[in-house]
Amino acid sequence: MSVIIHPRPSPIAAAMYMLRDLDVDVIILHGPSGCCFGPARLLEKDGVKVFTTALSENELIFGGEKRLRNILKKINELFKPKLIGVVGTCASMIIGENIKRVVEELNLANKTICCNVHSGLGDNTIGAIEVLKEAMNLGIISKEEFERQKYMLEMATLLEKTRGTARLEYIPNSPGDNPKKVAYEIINDIRNNKEVACILNAKKETAFLFADIIIVLNEIKKKIGGKIKFIANLDPNIGLPRIRNYSKIILEELNRRGINIDFITGGLDEYPIAGEKAKEIVLNSSTELAIIAGIPHAVAIEGKVKTIAITSGSRATSNLKSLGYDYVVNEYGAHRVTLGKKYIHRSILGNAIRKIMRDIS
Amino acid sequence: MRSIAIYGKGGIGKSTLASNIAYALSKFGLKVLLIGCDPKSDSTINIIGKHIPSLLDIMKTNKNPSIDMFLFKGSNNISCIEIGGPEPGIGCAGRGIIVGVNYIFKNLNINDYDFIIFDVPADIVCGGLAIVVKEKYAEGVIIVTSDDFMSIYAANNICRGLNTIRVNAFGILYNKSTKNGIKYVEKFSRKVNLPIIGIIPYSEEIISANKMMKTVIEVYPNSNISNIIKSISLSILNIKEGRIPNWLSINELEEIFYENS
Ligand SMILES: Nc1ncnc2c1ncn2[C@@H]1O[C@H](COP(=O)(O)OP(=O)(O)OP(=O)(O)O)[C@@H](O)[C@H]1O
Ligand SMILES: [Mg+2]
Repeated sequence: MSVIIHPRPSPIAAAMYMLRDLDVDVIILHGPSGCCFGPARLLEKDGVKVFTTALSENELIFGGEKRLRNILKKINELFKPKLIGVVGTCASMIIGENIKRVVEELNLANKTICCNVHSGLGDNTIGAIEVLKEAMNLGIISKEEFERQKYMLEMATLLEKTRGTARLEYIPNSPGDNPKKVAYEIINDIRNNKEVACILNAKKETAFLFADIIIVLNEIKKKIGGKIKFIANLDPNIGLPRIRNYSKIILEELNRRGINIDFITGGLDEYPIAGEKAKEIVLNSSTELAIIAGIPHAVAIEGKVKTIAITSGSRATSNLKSLGYDYVVNEYGAHRVTLGKKYIHRSILGNAIRKIMRDIS
Repeated sequence: MRSIAIYGKGGIGKSTLASNIAYALSKFGLKVLLIGCDPKSDSTINIIGKHIPSLLDIMKTNKNPSIDMFLFKGSNNISCIEIGGPEPGIGCAGRGIIVGVNYIFKNLNINDYDFIIFDVPADIVCGGLAIVVKEKYAEGVIIVTSDDFMSIYAANNICRGLNTIRVNAFGILYNKSTKNGIKYVEKFSRKVNLPIIGIIPYSEEIISANKMMKTVIEVYPNSNISNIIKSISLSILNIKEGRIPNWLSINELEEIFYENS
């Protein structure tokens, strides 16, 4: 296994996102105020109130449980949250703070998910699994759902290590291919009557951006014809209510536009294994061009058919290039763009295609 | 300015020896500063006669306390500071020492003193407890041990820590010595390559003086034990340089206690 030399996603942030998926009203970070500022702001866009105990040198020396107690109490009185998440940080966990004890003292244990994580635990998914375990203990999710999600998260970690950005020690940044060039490539192939498979294999809310490719491909089809089948992990009956709802909203919007998904490969939290199903479907057909959006490296068909990968992040882009995907488009900041959105958002590649199609007519 | 940090197993006599050595050095006419780094804040009690407010406690409400708020003068004009720290079971004592020591050295004119003694809690169990020597606030370490296995075991751990962070030790103070125990401490001292600076026998006078919150030299100035401590203090003053100690594997450590090794 390669040594980690790039900053990696943090278990603390993963715990926060999982809490959001569980629809907590507030998250309290027990740590210094600068800790996880980035994810905190993004989650606020998504309607979660994020607070910090703002531990400073004094609390690091003398302990910060009193601080946590005061803030929990205040927030509980002020916002009357139905569900609270409290997440540890490096600083508070290293000095041995006991989050649970504070929560129990305040009689908030029946509506608070406590998560004792810090950033040095290894894989970020550990933070998400911690939250799920606590949610199961509180009866918010069933044991079966816990096991299913835990398995998915472990598969996601495995995927990152075998085919994702955790497989290489040093990964340069890559801007990816020019979206306009890739847009022409797609339009030409469709015009030349190539068989196209459009695969959405997205993670949770990022589907609100990556699903845009489905809309634009359908526009092309409507205008110039073409053989395009749609494959997507948009099962509205899998996952937490919030995640199911994402699928529902996207399917409804596609439906309104007269688009039918030919194959549903799983839920929006099942991208690590849904990719395998998509791969099977593609390889058992006469597909000539596969366009894969979201987590393309979970759909291991590079080299087998012509591939266009659409992803987010310049390291992910460079990783896909080095795996051998023919074209890779970087949808900058997909996560940032989609947080708080509840509709399909226009993408960079989608807009490039739209522009060309406008000029064609 | 000379400076030492005293390390050793819990309860071995670090604070007792630190305060007594401080007192002896002050009697030689030196300007002495005694810094207690233990959250218990009991290092300077024999010099002041009572607990003094600790620096970290003061810093809870005042981020920039002036020197006179945390530095107290005790018998024979010895300057005393207690860094303090969290109550047992919470927070982080190591972090406290880092913050406290850094503050002292940023604000105090160290060259006003001839000799500084740090009384550090227990072993070098974490980076915080090592800060005093790691940052070279103290020139070197004096390790206090007795002749039982556990205290030598702890002394060996300290040697290991010093070896890792490449810090000098001046030598060993053998406290609560017994007739039969000297051979173990001597063997240990040879193997880790550190001299025995002094041997302090078990002393009722020490216990009695501690009860009065005074140094034994102050209470029993002409006693045998006081003379021993004074002569040890003189030796410490005359040490020219320390060395990075060796440390022993558990087997080597056990061998020390085999009768015929
Ligand atoms: N030579 C001695 N003879 C008799 N009693 C001693 C001697 N040295 C220390 N003591 C006693 O041993 C006890 C522990 O001493 P002291 O508090 O100085 O140890 P310490 O190493 O500072 O402990 P801690 O690790 O808890 O800070 C005290 O009661 C003290 O009076
Ligand atoms: Mg002590």
